[in-house]
Amino acid sequence: MIKVIKSGIQLTIQDLGRVGFRHLGVSRSGSLDTYAHIIANRLLNNTDNAAVLELTVGLCELQFQCDTVIALHGADLKATLDGHPLYPGWSYPIKAMQTLKFATGRGGSRAYIAVKGGIECPEVMGSKSTDLGAAIGGFNGRALQSGDVLAISPYTKPWLCNKGALTPPKRNIIRLHVGPHYELLTPECINAFCDTAFTINSNSNRMGVRLDHKNADIMQHTLSLPSVAVAPGSIQLPPDGNPIVLLNDGQTTGGYPLIAHVIEADLHQFAQFRTADPITFKFVSLEQANAAKNKLDAHLAQLKLSLSRYWD
Amino acid sequence: MSMIPSIKILTNSSLLFDVSHYSEPHILATQKKLWALAQYCKNSNEFIDLVPAMNSLTLYLKSSEMLHKWHNNLAKLWEEVDDYPFDSQHHQINTYYQGEDLDYVANYHQLTIDEVINLHSKELYHVLFLGFVPGFPYLHGLNSRLFTPRRDNPRVSVPKGAIAIGADQTGIYPEDSPGGWHIIAHTDACLFDSKAANPCLFKPGDTIEFVPVKGVSND
Repeated sequence: MIKVIKSGIQLTIQDLGRVGFRHLGVSRSGSLDTYAHIIANRLLNNTDNAAVLELTVGLCELQFQCDTVIALHGADLKATLDGHPLYPGWSYPIKAMQTLKFATGRGGSRAYIAVKGGIECPEVMGSKSTDLGAAIGGFNGRALQSGDVLAISPYTKPWLCNKGALTPPKRNIIRLHVGPHYELLTPECINAFCDTAFTINSNSNRMGVRLDHKNADIMQHTLSLPSVAVAPGSIQLPPDGNPIVLLNDGQTTGGYPLIAHVIEADLHQFAQFRTADPITFKFVSLEQANAAKNKLDAHLAQLKLSLSRYWD
Repeated sequence: MSMIPSIKILTNSSLLFDVSHYSEPHILATQKKLWALAQYCKNSNEFIDLVPAMNSLTLYLKSSEMLHKWHNNLAKLWEEVDDYPFDSQHHQINTYYQGEDLDYVANYHQLTIDEVINLHSKELYHVLFLGFVPGFPYLHGLNSRLFTPRRDNPRVSVPKGAIAIGADQTGIYPEDSPGGWHIIAHTDACLFDSKAANPCLFKPGDTIEFVPVKGVSND
């Protein structure tokens, strides 16, 4: 068991998301930083889809009520175990009654806490992920609060793995596919979109990231389109000219023009941006998008291989 | 219906099949073809999600390796799917026509309450697609005499089960949600239950009729 002493800004149970129900209006949910999620699980020899805790910004305190092993990944939110510092990218054996605390950090937004065997909770529509909008999955469909107790299976064997995993480099140049409504927008609008230095708006969350910039007047439009399916990574351009990057809790259809779509390999970067972080966009070819994806996959495969000798 | 569909690569694993440029009178006929196309694609077992919207279908592939195959084949499939069968259910929705805005809608159109109820309940509606929240159906079939501009001030909370009209659409709210449509009725029908084997009552392509019921909704 894990007892939540302090839940911090937002603490939720997430796996890799709920798929196969978008035609019914059900969002994906799931860890925003899928890459950190998978690495944390691989450090424990969990399945990739095992449920983890996603902590936003920090200020959280958890008490373990049984022996286990944890792995941290994602943002360095200054974790300590009974006062001793822990670092993202490593696994740590835990004794019952030890306390894991997070302060906060400047390097990113979301930390992932994987537990040996995964966080246990009922699957809803094939996933343990918390969907905050629909109030389903995870812990009673909501973010965790102080006093909540999470089920885990104790792990008492010696823990021999002393290997860590690198945190992937942060990118501020986000690579994009051309969106389906690109041609409906004016060349001035598209040029401004490519040339503008955007910053992350504070009104961003698991549904989407809003962007601030100085060229909203150039990017304004009056297009009204029939509803079309949207997905995590879709970039909508509302009439006010301020783009929105949809993330995992975003809705399934929308009526705003889709100017672009974030390539799969870069989408996880949005999990870690903080308010006022600068970003720019760059359109790339399908081949470049595939190459970027293959590079990440190769990194994950290499990690799996280098850890495998500990599990045999 | 001889216009050429627009087929666009969205990402290395998703495609947009768009026929929304077909003319207005064909919305339902076009959408029926899209449901058939979606069913055909679903049966291939090569997709994670197939999401219809307004006269479009977005296809999310399991593997990026299949992208070009489907991109190349969809136009030809579109010509062949007319008679392809798709799953569809008919739903009779018990409807208590006592909504908060029923009087407003009647006055707006200079109709009696009974005329509004009759116009709304005699039509057969099609679930074009779902979205907004889980289980929320975008319906086709509202009589044009009931088209009503959305409320100036959206409600912070429209109750679960509310049946409402917004512009040329009518719909049912699966859960308490903010909303700007006019509430004309309520139903006890459960549109979304995440623990049920089929969590959503409706799926794209289903048909609905609103059956007027006397008395007061339990909700």
